[in-house]
Amino acid sequence: MTIKEALSRGLKGTGKLRVSVNHASILTITALLLILFIAFTIRILPMRWEIPSGSLWLNEFDPYYQYSLTSKMVNDGLLSPYSPPWINTQQFYPDGLDMSQSFPSLPMTAAVLYNIISGLGVSIDLMSFCSLMAPLLGTLAVLVMYFVGKDMGGKTVGLLSALILALMPSYIQRSSLGFFDTETVGVLALLLFIFMFMRAIDFNRSFRSMVLYSLGSAAALFYFSAGWGAAYFLIDLIAVYVFVLVLIKRYNQRLLMVYSITFGLGLFATINVPLLSPRYLMSGAILPVAAVFVVLCLAEILRTNITMRTKTILSVAFLAILVGGVVGVAVFGDLTSIAGKFISVVDPFQRSAQPLIESVAEHRISAWGSMYYELGISILFFLVGMYFTVKNPTNRNVFLVLFGLSSLYFAGSMIRLLILLAPAFALLVSNGVLGLLRPFYTLIHESTSQAVSKSKRRLSRVGKEYSVIAILLIFGLLATNFAFSPQTGGEPRVYNMAYSPIAITASSLPIAANEPVPQWRNMVAYMNTNLNQTDVVASWWDYGNWIGYLGNVTTLCDNNTVNATQIENVAYSMMANESQSLKMLKNYDASYILVFVTLQLPISNNQLAGNVRFGGYGDEGKWVWMADISGNAKPRFLSTGYMTSDYQWSNKTDFGYNMTSGVTEWNDMGLNSTLYKLMSNAEKQWADKYGFTMTETASTLEYFTPVYIAGLEVDPTTAAQKYGTLLPLVCLYKIDWEKYNASITTP
Amino acid sequence: MFPKVPDQHKPGKPLVPWGLGVIYVLFASIYIFLAYFLGVGKTTDGVSAPLTLAVCILFGGFMGMLDDWIDLKWRYKAFMPLITALPLMYFVLANPEMRTSISVPLFGTVQFGDAYIFIVVPLIVMVITNTINMLGGLNGLETVGPAIILIGLTVLSSSTFQILMIGPLIIWLILAFFNFQGKIFVGNTGSFAIGLTIASFAVLTDLKSSLLISVIPYVFNSILILSSVFFIRKKANVTFDGKKLVSDHRRSLVTLLTYRRPLTERQVVTIISLIIAVFTAIAVGVEIFSI
Repeated sequence: MTIKEALSRGLKGTGKLRVSVNHASILTITALLLILFIAFTIRILPMRWEIPSGSLWLNEFDPYYQYSLTSKMVNDGLLSPYSPPWINTQQFYPDGLDMSQSFPSLPMTAAVLYNIISGLGVSIDLMSFCSLMAPLLGTLAVLVMYFVGKDMGGKTVGLLSALILALMPSYIQRSSLGFFDTETVGVLALLLFIFMFMRAIDFNRSFRSMVLYSLGSAAALFYFSAGWGAAYFLIDLIAVYVFVLVLIKRYNQRLLMVYSITFGLGLFATINVPLLSPRYLMSGAILPVAAVFVVLCLAEILRTNITMRTKTILSVAFLAILVGGVVGVAVFGDLTSIAGKFISVVDPFQRSAQPLIESVAEHRISAWGSMYYELGISILFFLVGMYFTVKNPTNRNVFLVLFGLSSLYFAGSMIRLLILLAPAFALLVSNGVLGLLRPFYTLIHESTSQAVSKSKRRLSRVGKEYSVIAILLIFGLLATNFAFSPQTGGEPRVYNMAYSPIAITASSLPIAANEPVPQWRNMVAYMNTNLNQTDVVASWWDYGNWIGYLGNVTTLCDNNTVNATQIENVAYSMMANESQSLKMLKNYDASYILVFVTLQLPISNNQLAGNVRFGGYGDEGKWVWMADISGNAKPRFLSTGYMTSDYQWSNKTDFGYNMTSGVTEWNDMGLNSTLYKLMSNAEKQWADKYGFTMTETASTLEYFTPVYIAGLEVDPTTAAQKYGTLLPLVCLYKIDWEKYNASITTP
Repeated sequence: MFPKVPDQHKPGKPLVPWGLGVIYVLFASIYIFLAYFLGVGKTTDGVSAPLTLAVCILFGGFMGMLDDWIDLKWRYKAFMPLITALPLMYFVLANPEMRTSISVPLFGTVQFGDAYIFIVVPLIVMVITNTINMLGGLNGLETVGPAIILIGLTVLSSSTFQILMIGPLIIWLILAFFNFQGKIFVGNTGSFAIGLTIASFAVLTDLKSSLLISVIPYVFNSILILSSVFFIRKKANVTFDGKKLVSDHRRSLVTLLTYRRPLTERQVVTIISLIIAVFTAIAVGVEIFSI
């Protein structure tokens, strides 16, 4: 072979390698890049409030928990929280919180990425990095959404569903700046899994790619179930999907192989997570996987060429195995009950009996109103998309229908699970929109106007312009949905959702002020400088993570509602009178107590005048849960002597809450509760300072002395200008143990 | 640019452009959007009435267009307006000052409570849209009647809504004028769009009882048609003898009027319009005097 030949062959080779570029693909890539840009930009909008505060913090409460895991991993190694189990005694004092009982995907991802970028020399503090993780992973999920959609219905469906997911309000909320929580990796892993599993069972692919994609989907399944509790949903969905495929006679060997590889490897890897452990395989939600596997094996045997008699015997045998297995597990093994949260999703009515779960706002049942509020008029396209998808039942579309229906059910059951609906919704809406557009689009491209046969009117000819108008109408509907949605007063829902500060920077107020609302930030800064790490601060669990991680003190309870008894006790000490409350807090060596109250400033005729009263966004709104949760444990408190026959309550009505009107008229019991006294005293301090009268009555505190009240320094005019008549007060009280001890020794 | 269909009730069956209701839909929604952005009925928080109205009109046009194109089955047509009820239901839900009762003259006020949001509003939307769609087929019939009802409702509504409705109303009147002369047809696009306009406008302005009185002729027509379809399984059919319309049965409002009594198309339309005008006048009178 001469050099010339070799050269020319080599050149030809590079020619083959060259990526073929045409107009369509340039457009697609540009559009995709734009969508990703939009997705990321929208998700970092809350940064506007973080920049004046000096550092990027995390949103809400749970992300701080994930952050502490990440921080431990970065400092002590990736597996440090798990072996030996890391007990964090700064939380849920005195028992501490077993941090090994957590989902590792998110903190590990963040820790690995953080190590990589710090290794590259980028200096960024860990909290800011974690804060940025959410938008990054969210954008990545949008990219994966494009590929999922592309497989389902071509590039157009891919692009449209990526755009819809990028703009989905419920998803933006859970992937915007600072939302460093399990859902962030959850949705990404969910989409990755769907993408790979669907490709693996695709008949048009080679055996090699089937094996590769099965391995990939096993990895994604592991990543998912080690990352988000909602993995049960997907696992069962896939099991049901495969079962349905068998039922509609779509069984083939490939299905069996993919199913075995995916679930075998995926679940095998999953049980190594300490939180899940091998018990996971025996839980009620995972058992269907095994059952469907038996069904698949049966289907495989029935395919082969054997006599009818053998087939019958085998079928009966398999059925016997199936039934026997279920009965056996139920009788001998223990069908591990899945955590109450998951049962309560499937059966929302069970939840009203559990105030601890119900008290978490995001666990509540979503009313149809909130569904419409979130999704808008695109529900129309969702229904249309469902219609088109059902009419064309390919393997992927069967999955899409099951996915859409089941996630719709769960989203209706629990508002937080709207995020599970988001990918299915995006796919179905794009199917709907494009299905509607397609005939009109084809018509525009026809060279001559087309005759449309109509049964009734015998329509002769239709002009191209007519279909342009139809497209315009659909565009109009989409525009009302995304740009000026009527249900949110004309402002895009996306904008409302994205352009709002993270919870602590807004001091838990439901407003988007022009500047950060600094009261909570001031409080944690105060704690950092003036309190010791070992000082126990009692507070309602909503604030446990903030004061624990940001204020660096020891807390009694937080969002990890692992120790229900302790939360009931804290609720009790909030609602009981001062001496009873201290009797309880004494068990926990608490030296401080923190309450958060928001005040509603009176404004009449643009004048600040009248009575200042409780606003309803702090503990003055949350106390109903404290009353219910502690009232739920009434038998225990009665038997331990914390409640007596003349001093007891069973729910919020005992403090003056009116069930029918939803208004509270504080009665004697309510007025004497520790929480009320602490809140009204803080209110009185502010009212006295600026010369206001107040609606609530404040009585003198016996055993508590105010140490620091953040928000006291804000004068009414400033509050009205900045926060629109709401004023947050974060109040820290010191417990006077000497006085209390003296009072119990000298009765 | 518009497709042409033969006019069945004219000698020689001339071809007439059809589906011009889409002009109304586009104009009305753009007009309402513009009005909204210029500050008419703008709200800083809560649900926006103008945008809700615009969505309803857009959707009505869209549904009508689907029907014009692929001849929706009646069960889809009957229930599709329910989707449009969603924004309206949410509007009522978010505005507690809206009345959840309907006052019927000589009968008193019926208080529905929550059932108003979940049952009555969807029912209003579904029934009104379909009943208005049912009375048509003659030149001017499907445009003049709704125009009269809409004028009545606009007169009764607050100034904000009057501003919102005046633009769409003028366009509709122009279409009605040409339609009456037999120059154009509005098609189902127009018919559904105007039906949803009327229904959503009445819900948004809280003028339910006026609406219910105004549409009595329509409801009467629908009852005639539906009962003959259900009981004797026959459809209404009016025959054209070259000059006048005549029928040998009484299965709809049109056939009832022309029952063994030949009338010209224009006469029939005028009579029906007058009947609608009388009922609308009663509705306006009742509303004005009851305050």
